[in-house]
Amino acid sequence: PLHPLQAKPVPKSLRASRKKACEPEVASSLIKKIFSHYVKMPVARDAFKIVEKCSERYFQQLSSDLEAYSNHAGRKTVEMADLEVLMRRQGLVTDKMPLRVLIERYLPLEYRKLLIPVAVSGNKVIPCK
Amino acid sequence: RRRRMKRTAPRSTLRKIIKKHKPQLRLAANSDLLEAWLFYFTFKQERPGLAMVHLNFLLFLHRLAEEARTNAFASKSKIIKPEHTIAAAKVI
Repeated sequence: PLHPLQAKPVPKSLRASRKKACEPEVASSLIKKIFSHYVKMPVARDAFKIVEKCSERYFQQLSSDLEAYSNHAGRKTVEMADLEVLMRRQGLVTDKMPLRVLIERYLPLEYRKLLIPVAVSGNKVIPCK
Repeated sequence: RRRRMKRTAPRSTLRKIIKKHKPQLRLAANSDLLEAWLFYFTFKQERPGLAMVHLNFLLFLHRLAEEARTNAFASKSKIIKPEHTIAAAKVI
């Protein structure tokens, strides 16, 4: 009965170390899906790896940009305004392309409902302009 | 009409990623600044900031995809190759 007991600990420690090395990142399958949805043409497997790497770099950049914006405003919390300013600088939000249109175009209904108010029951429109 | 794409955002992952890079940074749960319509958030316990980060990420991937496709067309390639995405990433 000693042999199976001795055999076990090795893979277990391996597994533990692998789990620790796992970094938080967007699932590659999701990146793949979104990217191929937008390119609309076949993509080589190596190219997807590049896209993943780019995404990682993108989040690094995004985090430090958001930090800079909120620090500049003397806050420790990222707020919507920071994100809008960021998107303006990225050239995504312009006078011709307001944030609202981007939200409507890219986000699914449940998020749209979060970000863009709609008329609610009781003849109340949130918010009233 | 067109293929369905999974549209929900991996919200906890997004939060973790930002946490990884900037541990001290916090994402606003609800921000009622800026424009009147934003105050709708106060009625919801969601984090629109994360939805916004997701939106930004989608737009980033969209740009990258467009750029890579342009590169592929320019080199008369039928598929997107690594070099097309690398060149696209440099532009963006």
